[in-house]
Amino acid sequence: MTPSSSIAAPGAVVPGHEATDDHGHHPSYLTDGTTVKSWLLTVDHKRIGIMYMVWVLLFFLVGGIFAMLLRIELLTPGPTIMDAMTYNRVFTLHGIVMIFLFMIPAIPSIFGNFLLPLMLGAKDVAFPRLNLLSLYVYLAGAGFALWGMLNGGLDTGWTFYTPYSAHTTTTVAPVLFGAFIIGFSSILTGMNFIVTTHTMRAPGITWFKMPLMVWALYATSCIQVLATPVIGLLLLLVTAENLFSLGMFDVARGGDPVLFQHLFWFYSHPAVYIMVLPAFGVMSEIVATFSRKNIFGYRAVAYSSVGIAFVGFFAWGHHMFVSGQSTFNAGVFGVLSMLVGVFTAIKVFNWVGTVYKGAVEFSTPFAYFCGFLFFTVFGGMTGIAVATVSLDVPWHDTYFVVAHFHFIMVGATIMAFLAALHYWFPKMFGKMYHEGWGLVSAALIILGFNATFIPQFLLGNAGMPRRYYEYPERFQALNVASTAGASLLAFGFIIIAVYLTYALIYGERVDNPWNSKGYEWLTASPPPTHNFIGPQPTYPEEPHFYVDPNTGKGEVSDV
Amino acid sequence: MSSAHVTPGTVPGPKLAAHFASLEVQKHAARLGMWLFLATEILLFAGLFACYASYRFLFPEAWAASSRSLDLTMGTINTVVLITSSFTAAMAVHYAKEGKNKMVGHMFVLTLLMAIGFLVIKFFEYKHKFHIGTLPGRYYFYEGIQLPGAPLYFTVYFASTALHALHVVIGMTVLAFSTVRAYRVGDFNANNYTAVELGSMYWHLVDLVWIFLFPMLYLV
Amino acid sequence: MAIANESHQEEHNMQEHHGAGRYVVIWVVLLVLTLVTVFTGRMHLPDFGLLLALVIASVKGTLVALYFMHLSEHRGANRLVFGVSIVFVVLLIGFTLMDFGTRFRLANPPGSQYSDLQAVDIGANPAEGRTGGHQQQIKQQHETHE
Repeated sequence: MTPSSSIAAPGAVVPGHEATDDHGHHPSYLTDGTTVKSWLLTVDHKRIGIMYMVWVLLFFLVGGIFAMLLRIELLTPGPTIMDAMTYNRVFTLHGIVMIFLFMIPAIPSIFGNFLLPLMLGAKDVAFPRLNLLSLYVYLAGAGFALWGMLNGGLDTGWTFYTPYSAHTTTTVAPVLFGAFIIGFSSILTGMNFIVTTHTMRAPGITWFKMPLMVWALYATSCIQVLATPVIGLLLLLVTAENLFSLGMFDVARGGDPVLFQHLFWFYSHPAVYIMVLPAFGVMSEIVATFSRKNIFGYRAVAYSSVGIAFVGFFAWGHHMFVSGQSTFNAGVFGVLSMLVGVFTAIKVFNWVGTVYKGAVEFSTPFAYFCGFLFFTVFGGMTGIAVATVSLDVPWHDTYFVVAHFHFIMVGATIMAFLAALHYWFPKMFGKMYHEGWGLVSAALIILGFNATFIPQFLLGNAGMPRRYYEYPERFQALNVASTAGASLLAFGFIIIAVYLTYALIYGERVDNPWNSKGYEWLTASPPPTHNFIGPQPTYPEEPHFYVDPNTGKGEVSDV
Repeated sequence: MSSAHVTPGTVPGPKLAAHFASLEVQKHAARLGMWLFLATEILLFAGLFACYASYRFLFPEAWAASSRSLDLTMGTINTVVLITSSFTAAMAVHYAKEGKNKMVGHMFVLTLLMAIGFLVIKFFEYKHKFHIGTLPGRYYFYEGIQLPGAPLYFTVYFASTALHALHVVIGMTVLAFSTVRAYRVGDFNANNYTAVELGSMYWHLVDLVWIFLFPMLYLV
Repeated sequence: MAIANESHQEEHNMQEHHGAGRYVVIWVVLLVLTLVTVFTGRMHLPDFGLLLALVIASVKGTLVALYFMHLSEHRGANRLVFGVSIVFVVLLIGFTLMDFGTRFRLANPPGSQYSDLQAVDIGANPAEGRTGGHQQQIKQQHETHE
């Protein structure tokens, strides 16, 4: 048996695969019940994942439109298309929509919901009804927040810093309360994933035979469960402060706004890892699949996910270097922040080690992996720089910081989101998109992203503060470059929307186009309602097992 | 994963959801889920504890003086009431395991009565504070304590006791469902008491939080 | 099957039926500790009074968690969840207090024991509005702030 032939027959011994031959008897989850009610009241994790996808993508569109409005406004040094107050509202809404409505639920709630049970050989998540509840709680929170935005919006920035958020006349309370409700959704998802991982693993899947995506989701869920309640409380306090002036953070009555920042970043710094850890998980899956190699250093990658989740809690003070926090604390937080870099570097080196001498198949998901790798390293390195107190003091609240966190949030998370979308699109719908257009849009997006944010690094370094409506003449060239890059980025997204919609309807029927050996591919694409048909599948191999293209090793356990 | 040890004897058990391997795993999942939920509750209060700790650290004199303006007798009675209600909730689990559904109901009714008692006492404490003016932030008009930080103490006091009272109400709702089920359906037994157990765990958490709030607020 | 074992062990422990006596003992101990903490609290011990009260509260909390909430019979994951949540509570409070303790004095809230500035407003006597702030300058700042 040559290596390639063993790859070509991935599911030979797997029950459930026969389902594809046997269509009439076992409808896929997509066709099993087509009424609106069968979707809205479903407890099937796959359908919930798809419904999340619809909403999350909608909010991504909203946040993206806000982003484009910002970039258009910043084309000229003076007013361009809106007044200053509108600008304040737009950047606040961009932040809130992108973070609370898009980035946090994006990968865990869509791909996590869809894939976690498949990857664990389970029929569903542990609490299917709570899972559905989390979707509706999310929508209720989003409704509250959007209602507040339509009724005037708010101008505090997504960070809601007191004392301003307690005194501004804009509509703070409903948006804060909406974010508070969304927190419940996040907690429910996290709880569900942790319990599922603990109790629903199929026979044969031990902790160290779980796919790395599961490890990443597990670590993410831990953060969601431990950190979200703190911001929940804080949002309630600020809502009360805004409505009734309770004075918890009011300097005039002895309160300390910096305490607000402590509580805020206790959640919001780990929240960065809620956004980026699932991205790391996605990339661990993709790098093994498209290099046709078992992941290099499985345990190191798995442990580093948990490590990042843990260390992420020791870093929050690096957002507060110029807030009046003690210099001692600033130093401690600065040093501890750098530990995150250590764990991230472990992952990066292991991914590179996986690609090294692999039989790389350069498809769209892998193209996003390449972009992701660059953005993560570059964003991570600038992160180490801004975690250094002396460097952060001049860079704080400039476009340097804006560019840095967009490199991580957009560069890493959205690249991973798109990679996951392309990699698991055939799994979700059993259809294949046009690979050529996929690569074209990936190239556009990676290029557009660099063109958008590298100028912002330069702007920040030159001293342009963030959240400013106007800027001096000399910053215009770089701002125009950034806006041009953003247009390219938007164009790339439009192409994706078009060809994926096309593929959804006219796409070629496929089952496992990547010949991936991930556990989730062991069942049919799209999977049947209860994920597997017949007896529960067995998992004799490691989750990222491929026959080594160089040595041919691994054929024995292939049998 | 054999199911040989799932049903000891003839006691009817709860329904096994299709996606779990066995009833044991299902119960384990329910408990783990509950513990995770309780962990989120603990961290929810941790935010307030952090506010408390910070301001206690900054304003020790105002904290001591304000704390002494509270009614320690009422606070102590409330603590005893809540601990006792926690005890009856634990006894409900005990009886549920023995299948004595009537007693489960009785125990939960006692718990609920004590919960109402707790809230009533709390109401009178609040009423007194509204009367003398020991109120949060800018509403503070108590002449007795003129120390910086005193209004802040009452911000923390009202925020934490109100949040705790909200949890009392939620806990009462949860227990009320189990009470009705114990009286009407009466299907709790050694194999099927998860609802009682989880409800009473929630109630113990409410008690646990108060065990910390009491010395923090009343005994500085 | 680690998870099956864990579930099985937990189920086994929970099935083991204890007499009600155990709950009564815990209840009595909790009441006694409550009285002890009220007694020591009324002594208004300097410095370590709050510490002592918190130690007693921790003992009470541990008893509730271990016996009323059956943590002593639960295993692995449940204990881990509870333990980790306590660790993060300590983390949150610890780092925040560390900040206040080591701060530049002028950055602490005015009127606090670690600040050299006087309080602006303690809220009493709404007719005059400000009774705590004696510094005209700070008062004016506050008024413009509103």
